[in-house]
Amino acid sequence: MNGWIGALLALAALTLIKATPLIYAALGGVLSERSGVVNIGLEGILIAGAFTAVIVSGATGSPVLGALAGVVAGALLAALLAYAATRLAVDQIVAGTGLNIAALAAAAFGLVLVYHQPGASHEVPALGQTGEDALIVLALVAAVGLHLALTRTPWGLRVRACGEDPSAAESAGIDALRTRFLAVVIGGAIAALGGVFLSLGELDLYSDGMTAGRGFIALAAVIFGRWTPLGATGAAIFFGFFAALQFSLQRAGVPSEVMQALPYVAALVALAGFAGRVRAPASDGVPYIRP
Amino acid sequence: MNALWRVRGLRDLLVVIVLVFGVGSIAMLLAHVSPIDGFSALFDGAFGTWEEIAETLVQTTNLLFPALGIAVAFRAGMFNIGAEGQLILGGFAAGWLGAQVPAPAWIAIPMVLIAGALAGGVWGAIPGFLRARFGANEVIATLMLNVIAVLLATYLVTGPLIQAGGGAQETALLPKAAQLGDLVPDSRLTWAFPLALVLAFALRWVLQRTVFGYELRAAGEAPEAAKRAGIDLGRTALVAMAISGALAGLGGATIVTGVLHRFNVGLSPGYGFIGIAVALVGNLDPLWICVAALGFGILQSGGIAMQAEAEVPKQVVSLVTGLVIIALAGRRVVASRRTT
Amino acid sequence: MRRRFGAVQAVDGVDLELLPGEIHALVGENGAGKSTLAAIAYGAVRPDEGTIEANGVVGLVHQHFKLIDRLRVWENVLLNREPRKGWTIDVPAARERVRSLGTRYGLDVDPDVLVETLPVGVKQRVELLRELDREPTVLLLDEPTAALAPSEIASFFTTIQDLAARGTAIMVVTHKLAEVIAYSQRVTVMRHGRVVARHQTAETTAAEIAREMVGGEVPPLAEREMRAPQPLLDARGLTAHSGTSVLHEATFTVGAGEIVGIAGVEGNGQSALADALAGIIPFGGTLLFAGTALRGDDSPAARIKAGVRVIPQDRLREALVLDWSVRDNAALGRQRTLPLARFDAAAREIIERFDVRPPNPGAIVGALSGGNQQKIVVGRALLGAPRLLVAYQPTRGIDIGAAALVQSRLIEARNAGVGVLLISFELDEIFACADRVLVISDGRFVGTFAHDEIDRGRIGALMAGHA
Repeated sequence: MNGWIGALLALAALTLIKATPLIYAALGGVLSERSGVVNIGLEGILIAGAFTAVIVSGATGSPVLGALAGVVAGALLAALLAYAATRLAVDQIVAGTGLNIAALAAAAFGLVLVYHQPGASHEVPALGQTGEDALIVLALVAAVGLHLALTRTPWGLRVRACGEDPSAAESAGIDALRTRFLAVVIGGAIAALGGVFLSLGELDLYSDGMTAGRGFIALAAVIFGRWTPLGATGAAIFFGFFAALQFSLQRAGVPSEVMQALPYVAALVALAGFAGRVRAPASDGVPYIRP
Repeated sequence: MNALWRVRGLRDLLVVIVLVFGVGSIAMLLAHVSPIDGFSALFDGAFGTWEEIAETLVQTTNLLFPALGIAVAFRAGMFNIGAEGQLILGGFAAGWLGAQVPAPAWIAIPMVLIAGALAGGVWGAIPGFLRARFGANEVIATLMLNVIAVLLATYLVTGPLIQAGGGAQETALLPKAAQLGDLVPDSRLTWAFPLALVLAFALRWVLQRTVFGYELRAAGEAPEAAKRAGIDLGRTALVAMAISGALAGLGGATIVTGVLHRFNVGLSPGYGFIGIAVALVGNLDPLWICVAALGFGILQSGGIAMQAEAEVPKQVVSLVTGLVIIALAGRRVVASRRTT
Repeated sequence: MRRRFGAVQAVDGVDLELLPGEIHALVGENGAGKSTLAAIAYGAVRPDEGTIEANGVVGLVHQHFKLIDRLRVWENVLLNREPRKGWTIDVPAARERVRSLGTRYGLDVDPDVLVETLPVGVKQRVELLRELDREPTVLLLDEPTAALAPSEIASFFTTIQDLAARGTAIMVVTHKLAEVIAYSQRVTVMRHGRVVARHQTAETTAAEIAREMVGGEVPPLAEREMRAPQPLLDARGLTAHSGTSVLHEATFTVGAGEIVGIAGVEGNGQSALADALAGIIPFGGTLLFAGTALRGDDSPAARIKAGVRVIPQDRLREALVLDWSVRDNAALGRQRTLPLARFDAAAREIIERFDVRPPNPGAIVGALSGGNQQKIVVGRALLGAPRLLVAYQPTRGIDIGAAALVQSRLIEARNAGVGVLLISFELDEIFACADRVLVISDGRFVGTFAHDEIDRGRIGALMAGHA
């Protein structure tokens, strides 16, 4: 009786699960880019969130503390990028790439240090089913919240102003560098929850490479979603759908690598299709240097 | 005004040294190893004996190919983060073809090297085409293609293009004729090393002394002015990315024919990413990149020794590499976004 | 007050006093330090030495508007001072505040519109409203009429005089001496960062001020020789758009050996015209060049080959590679036909014929002054064997001496048989150089005048869109 309705519901649920880390990362990316800073380091922030959450949960026995620690770790990593982007005015994409490499290495290093084995951590207290569900709901709430914050609040207006024209924003008395810095850090904190979800929500451990490029797909979701929180969330769900399809299609005999490649190919196609037709915030990626 | 291309030389060099020794020491202390022991193990491992020097040069070579490719892309105003994927596919093409089609050395070697360069070149041309035709951001495209490259290679090597005699996710062993000759006997150092150096010089000459190089640099530094000077920006993007990918693919091919003698999906410990650091430290100049490649080659080979001897996880090297990239990210700000 | 920017002493020992109810003009040529002084007075730039005292709020309306295109009018006007309702912005209150502000000062704008959709004159109103909302006692205006049509200038100054009557101290930074004489009470003249003269406006003349600005007489331009232009460029129904600039059905000719001036306010289709001729954008209609029909899907390379040379509007972005040497920049555009070994000789030729300083082919272009940079761009175009030269704002932002040299070289090229299309927002420049004047308004050509038929009043009216 359940038959195909049951299968459809299961697919929908799996889609949401697969999409949640993408949603968190994409929201972080949207906030950052609306303020004018491209955060290529989302992958590294996911790693930092996932890893730190596991370490702290293992050390304290509390997955909630672990989750909070993960958020803090993401914020700190984002702060490093934010500092380089605002005060040092470096190339944001290059810096983000460095961040990813450093974060992956730091996590691998940490694994050996703490667990004396490379590859994966031990199992730690996790958030369980309730925790996992809570994080999924929180992701959707965060999407709506960010949307309201950007469109209705004074802070949101200033963030958007800095992303369009920091020079004009400064002439209105806004500190563009500080606004950008905060936006990137808050975005990093949000994105890190995606990592926490991966390690403590879905599973109960950290393993090398568990983020599998989700941070990069999130970047495609930001573009696909036209740099809006709701749009990026929709795009993240779209990509999550492709990831969820894997299991169904694998049973149909499609080679596993082809399945695994689906979300990435989808992102690539979306990028090609959308690229010329959407406009990023005018000063996105452009370092602002005070005259 | 920003001093973008000017060599900030001394200050940046100081930053790199501080990062290497400072962060390295902290990491070593965290691993309960004295920095003195750690660093001496590293440098001893890099050039303690002649074999170790040869191994350092092997690492240098492996880094030099993708770094040169990344530098070419940078000079043209593009960011090729996809060197890793291009390298892997280049290595696959070389390994598969070399084992599939036996031939005498004077055919086999050029054949596999060209195959590697072509495979990498095509993989690099894809994001170049997407950028030229659709204006798609090549950064995200190359990131996606990196992952897809690994999946594609794995699929091919275990599925339709599987070869007898290969292990899991490997091609068969290359016939002796298709293997690059050793430069130093009984080492892994091959003719790939001088090849890379020659390419570096050739690249510099092309960039500085040919019309092609002039137009490529103009497109990278002042796209609007270049467009009005009759330079076709789309074509430049495509060609630059193709060359960039070809160099990375060639690097993969030399690893396969020279070092491993077969293709293995795990053939690269991230050369395509470390290459970004090498390109930046070398200030995007092919000759200085050779020096930078040597520096990172020392870290790579020394790092392996350091892990074995002093029990410091070799991820320290990657960590420092990542931080160096962040620190030197100021060396390349896309010229078209400059405000003056 | 003193302020340095790198090697340049932008402001050197300046004293300035503004009185309420007065319109004070600050004049000087490009690079004299006027904009820097205004920025210091506003507080955006800090002086190295000296003090500023202001009795109340100082407002500054910038030369290049500090407006955010993708935000609405009320968002721009009230940015950082938004009326609040709890955690959110009180949008109805914001709209109302902008409306009443507009009524109070006679500057009506729809608060809900996106700024990017507004014409330039209205954008300036928004910029003004933004400053006025802060109730300034001192209002600084940097080149406020640069982008206005002659009729809009009159209404602009009515608003300003009204503000002055209410007690605001007003300073207008400008290089337009006619406006200085007509509207100001006092004038301060700057040159090379220093104050060289102060006058009560009523007691001086435009000629005297001009002499003080330059520090001598302006060098005369080259003579336009008598000649009959040969057919060169024939455009019929030319239609194109470049970004927001649109050209409709333009029909005109440019002969070899004549200068055709395109007079118009910025933003009326000039960019579309220039880009279409340069081959950057496709065009509709017919374009005959030396008898051959040019293709609408051509490339800049093809146009260069055919003999079209362009002096672009924005030399920093569109003409030069700032980190390269003079030598390498001299070859830009000719890199396919000029062998590498001859780059140096080509650069030296430009340096010598156009008096580029410092006379060093190895100098980095980014370090040169605007005037010298422009000389390289102009020299490169003229020495590249042009048949048609499109000169778009060829003297923008450069000092009077360099401007005169450039204009003279254009005339000399015309005398030698080159066809020149001169697009400029400065009417004086067009009147001095052009054999024929075409007026462009809203993307269409609305009037033609031969050199001896030039009538400022009529041309000004046509530019503003009145027949």
